[in-house]
Amino acid sequence: MGFGAIGAGIGEGYAAGQTALGISRQPRVSGQLVKTMLIGQAITETSGIFALVIAILMISTGVRTGGNAVLDIAAVLGAGIAVGVCGFGVAIGDGYCAGRACDGVARRPSIGGQITGTMLVGQAVTETPVVFALVVAFILLYSGFSGGLEKAAALLGAGIAMGFGGFGSGIGGGLPGGAASDSVSRREELRSKIIGTMLIGQAVTQTSAIFALVVAFLLTFASGEGNSIVRIAAFLGAGIAMGMGAIGPGLGTGVPAAAACTSLRVNPRVGPVTTRVMLLGQAVAQSTAIYSLIIALLMVYVV
Amino acid sequence: MEGIGHVPQIQLWGQPGEALGTVNYVTVIMTWVVMAIIIIASVLIVRRLKEVPGRVQVVVELFARMFDGLVKDALDSNARGYLPLIGTLFIFLILSNWIGVIPGLEEPTRDINTPLSLGIMGFFVWHLSGVRAKGFFGYLKGFFEPIFFMMPLNVVGEVAKVISISFRLFGNIMGGAIIIIVVSNLLFYLVVPVLLNGFFGIFVGSVQAFVFTMLYLTYTSVAVRSD
Repeated sequence: MGFGAIGAGIGEGYAAGQTALGISRQPRVSGQLVKTMLIGQAITETSGIFALVIAILMISTGVRTGGNAVLDIAAVLGAGIAVGVCGFGVAIGDGYCAGRACDGVARRPSIGGQITGTMLVGQAVTETPVVFALVVAFILLYSGFSGGLEKAAALLGAGIAMGFGGFGSGIGGGLPGGAASDSVSRREELRSKIIGTMLIGQAVTQTSAIFALVVAFLLTFASGEGNSIVRIAAFLGAGIAMGMGAIGPGLGTGVPAAAACTSLRVNPRVGPVTTRVMLLGQAVAQSTAIYSLIIALLMVYVV
Repeated sequence: MEGIGHVPQIQLWGQPGEALGTVNYVTVIMTWVVMAIIIIASVLIVRRLKEVPGRVQVVVELFARMFDGLVKDALDSNARGYLPLIGTLFIFLILSNWIGVIPGLEEPTRDINTPLSLGIMGFFVWHLSGVRAKGFFGYLKGFFEPIFFMMPLNVVGEVAKVISISFRLFGNIMGGAIIIIVVSNLLFYLVVPVLLNGFFGIFVGSVQAFVFTMLYLTYTSVAVRSD
């Protein structure tokens, strides 16, 4: 909850700042700017609201009766980390998107609707990691688990994997979203091509969050009856490896995607080549997330 | 909120609880419903095609032209051959994602088996069309690019494509469904769930169907084109 709120705060602050700049440049369209800002901030706030929902549910359900106290604590802690940290990244990404869109509306108020539409599509895709985190959090909170300390480590690991894994993808997804909003404001006739490139770029950006989701699922359903210290370390380690390992690729793949959206505006004729170069660069940037996935799978299944 | 995590299933063969021994009958029925809607609509629309298009025909033609353009942009040679696959995939996915908005019906894509089987189908489409376009050795050479020691990474990357494309769709649709269930419960089914259905069902559903289709197309074009 705390982390989610920080992220939403930063993101909305950025959007509001860009709006203020825009109003100072084009005072006549301040009404339209404020409208775009409010829509953008509403989406940005979603991740904060998700964190709030999870926090309310945690307090209202409390520790389940008859269960294993350690397991419950691990599950609740994992759910909190998943939504909180993931929401942090997503909110920053969404806020960046909204900020660039407000900037664009200030530049070209006549096509404000198109820019806002681009922003909404970009933000909806950026939001994906926090939706994944929410799913993991609900599974952690609502399925009854049984097992020993190993299981507790697995549940906590699932939360860490999903939370940190979605953090990078959240910011990384926002970068192409922002760049696309900006590009549409300059060359609105290329809108559909820019949105297509943005969607492909964002989709690859999210791949590391999807790996984190897979690892989190495997960890929540891994069997851990005993209290072996090796397996406890392995489950926690799998979560940490996947979570931390996904931050870099999530952020890093966002940069070429944003660059591709910008270069499409500059030189639309080489669009397909740009997309292929972007995909190649992203594939290499993503390799470290794939290494993390392999290490995490080894730790879950082999150790 | 008891619905979360509960999978309705009947046993086909094998022992209870054993993997591959059960089938989720809701998914199967809903997939049939979606298929029936598509088939009936296609038959009705195709029968009434006219020289001067009516309202429905204009929409269908716009849609077909848009996808024709997308497919041609991505793979300029032999583009027409892929249009039925890509177009049908999009129609199936968007209907599957939208159908959950109707109370009592469930999205087939909420079950990981639907996206995963589409992803596995895509795996074969990409690789076989790669072999067809470049020849077997040209296709194998693609794994050793840009440098030869990237080979293991490229092989893992091909499997990762299937996982990421299918889990993206599944996670978004299931996540939206869970959020709608939980928020509806917290708010005692007041106005907000309708808006949530609009956002997660219609908007996110269309965006994710489009993303899935575009990635399918892009991966095909990466496999087919050599420049």
